[in-house]
Amino acid sequence: MLSIHARQVLAKAVLPLLILLAVGLVLLGLVRRPAVDGVRLMATDFMAPAYHGLVWPQERVKVWLTDLRGATDLARENARLRDENRALRHWYDVAVALAAENGRLKKSLHWIPETVPQYVTGRVTRDDGGPYSRAVLLDVGSGHDVRVGDVALDAAGLLGRVTEVGPHTVRVLMINDDASRIPVTLGSSHGDAIMAGDDTASPRLIFYPQDHHPVEGERVETRGQSTMPAGLPVGTVHYSAPNRPVVVPDADLDRLDIVRVFDYGDDDSQAPDAPGRVRVKKQPQNPLTGPLPFSWLPSLSDMSGRGGQ
Amino acid sequence: MVAENSTPHLHSAVEPKQTFRRALDRVARTAMPSLFIVFSAILLSAPFGIPGQAQLQFGIAMCTVWFWTFSRPRSMPALAVFLCGLVVEIFSFGPPGTVLLSLLVIYGVAHHWRYGLSRLGFIAGWLIFSVFAALASFFQWALVCLHALALLSPVPGLFQAALTIGIYPSLTALFVWGRRTFANPDQA
Repeated sequence: MLSIHARQVLAKAVLPLLILLAVGLVLLGLVRRPAVDGVRLMATDFMAPAYHGLVWPQERVKVWLTDLRGATDLARENARLRDENRALRHWYDVAVALAAENGRLKKSLHWIPETVPQYVTGRVTRDDGGPYSRAVLLDVGSGHDVRVGDVALDAAGLLGRVTEVGPHTVRVLMINDDASRIPVTLGSSHGDAIMAGDDTASPRLIFYPQDHHPVEGERVETRGQSTMPAGLPVGTVHYSAPNRPVVVPDADLDRLDIVRVFDYGDDDSQAPDAPGRVRVKKQPQNPLTGPLPFSWLPSLSDMSGRGGQ
Repeated sequence: MVAENSTPHLHSAVEPKQTFRRALDRVARTAMPSLFIVFSAILLSAPFGIPGQAQLQFGIAMCTVWFWTFSRPRSMPALAVFLCGLVVEIFSFGPPGTVLLSLLVIYGVAHHWRYGLSRLGFIAGWLIFSVFAALASFFQWALVCLHALALLSPVPGLFQAALTIGIYPSLTALFVWGRRTFANPDQA
């Protein structure tokens, strides 16, 4: 047994020791954030079934409320749906005609078909933002093939990108997070820009061409870059203040439920090796086959090649 | 504020027999504040979609540690604060370590001043707590800014501080009742 004095000293040393450990954790978070986030992801993975159980009553109540609201206003709802159906029918015809035309044009251009992206669908397990970030955790089940950098979309548009991958759960950094930077193309002005999140509902547009300012209401799509394919719908431009264009996202960032994670792959979009990295083949020192001193003149081999075609 | 019936050994002659069930009840009552922090941290990490869920996690942990440390330190030892802080850290996605460090600092303050705080009125205790809650939120904001290498908006931090200070009276009411009843080890 320890003496009373030793126990007193020990009791006094406990708090400073624990504070030191906490400071260590803070430093670890600053230096090796992925290690800490990995542990958190594991805990969430473990808790995923419990979360479903906890949220289940809330979801049921929401469904009942929606049903109840629908039942009280059937006539008006029916009229609205009929109108909407008519409009959708029109758009369906337009889409079919455009798809046929698109197919014809691609055929005449000998268009190389794009690879069909792999995707998994997951339910949002938990809003994972905290006060300073916007992220969600998705339950994608076991045996998935999601990689860091994959693109997440909801039914309407781009949602974000995968930042951490666990056995059952993936973390998606949303487009309005402060750390998110997405290259985008503007629909009608055809300018490129970067969409930068700022923890508000609508991310800002930065680095757009100064002679082509974004136009209010124009569509914003992704620009193809590494794993991010071109042409994914992002939202529309809106000026929240003069000279401050923001993107109003198509995706409903506040009420997320079912999210799809697409793997577009990055194998086919790799740039060829830079010339400096290619091993230079030794040319035979024959003055007749070597390049002519007048480089703008077509060489003999070029001319013979053309003649053969 | 002094814990009721804090000297049960004076009445040892009339104490009921120590059984396993009674010992378990006593441990559960003593650990009630820590369990409250752990359960609220896990519950508030579920996707209910309530605004300010993450801030509430922090607020509840701060209020609980503050109240129990000065009103009944036996129910909130330093190691329990550390373990609760770790659980809150695991079930939140803020900058790592800040909640844990804030809890330990507020524990240190409350533990050091517990005699003074017990003599002070509720309003004075609340004011002192408010200062430390605001400081902890500011610290968290500063760390996030440091991590992002940018000056972020301080509004979420202010909201967190306001929520923490705002829920303190209602939580105190719950804890004062709990200290007499379900979290009182002397009633086991």
